[in-house]
Amino acid sequence: MAIEAQYIDHIVISSNDSAATAKLFADNFDIEIKRTMTRPGTGAHMEFAKLQEVILEFAGPGEVKPYDEVKAKLSGVVLAVPDIHATVASIREAGFSIGDPHPAVQPGALFTGMRGGTNGVPFGFIQYNAIPIEEKPA
Amino acid sequence: MLKKIHHIGVVVENADEAMKFYRDALGLRVTADRVIEDQGVRGVLLEIGGSEIELLQPTRDDTGVAKFLQSRGEGMHHICFESDDVDVELEGARAKGIQLIDEKPRLGLAGMICFLHPKANHGVLVEFATPLAEGH
Repeated sequence: MAIEAQYIDHIVISSNDSAATAKLFADNFDIEIKRTMTRPGTGAHMEFAKLQEVILEFAGPGEVKPYDEVKAKLSGVVLAVPDIHATVASIREAGFSIGDPHPAVQPGALFTGMRGGTNGVPFGFIQYNAIPIEEKPA
Repeated sequence: MLKKIHHIGVVVENADEAMKFYRDALGLRVTADRVIEDQGVRGVLLEIGGSEIELLQPTRDDTGVAKFLQSRGEGMHHICFESDDVDVELEGARAKGIQLIDEKPRLGLAGMICFLHPKANHGVLVEFATPLAEGH
């Protein structure tokens, strides 16, 4: 069964100061930071840039400690898929271990991650418009 | 001007083994697979949307990719931005005082390429690439 992965949805760059790393990338490569957010639950500070369909996600702690040096690394890849349940079934059928889909931070999206077998790359999958978006009362 | 993410580079011990996931399980199409002798690597490019995933397997022990594998193990190695003109990007980086690895573009798997020093990007290795007109 083909997974039909559509595109790299985002690449995660983790940093001990994600705001500083996002600003450095913006300055060095003339890319625009389009959004910043605090991740619900963890308090992580995240900033986002986008080049065509690929989002660069800069992720780091909500509280930055006075490190001597800001350190960042590439720390994950997420692929967009049209049917995450079919993806999970196909990957398991191929003999790899993957978690069950669960609601993503992005409204209406489902996410799941591989459990090893990806050559050291934290690998995830996301399906947009997978579940109804809950409307909050006015 | 940087147009898009051309690829992410992933260092692997054995590209054939790695392709069991990337090619066979994910179904990604291999667009290039060759040994680059002067860099001591076998590179495999797999297409995903408008970008690619580049698997890098060292073919000898004295290269940066081999040292990365020895010290850190398999994993994400670099990110590559695509540009219409890698020379312009390199000159722009030099003008900004960004520390370089390559002083001038060279031929790589993704076309004409150059690498910036990871120290310039908080430890992240960054590549610029301009694909060749005739493809890989």
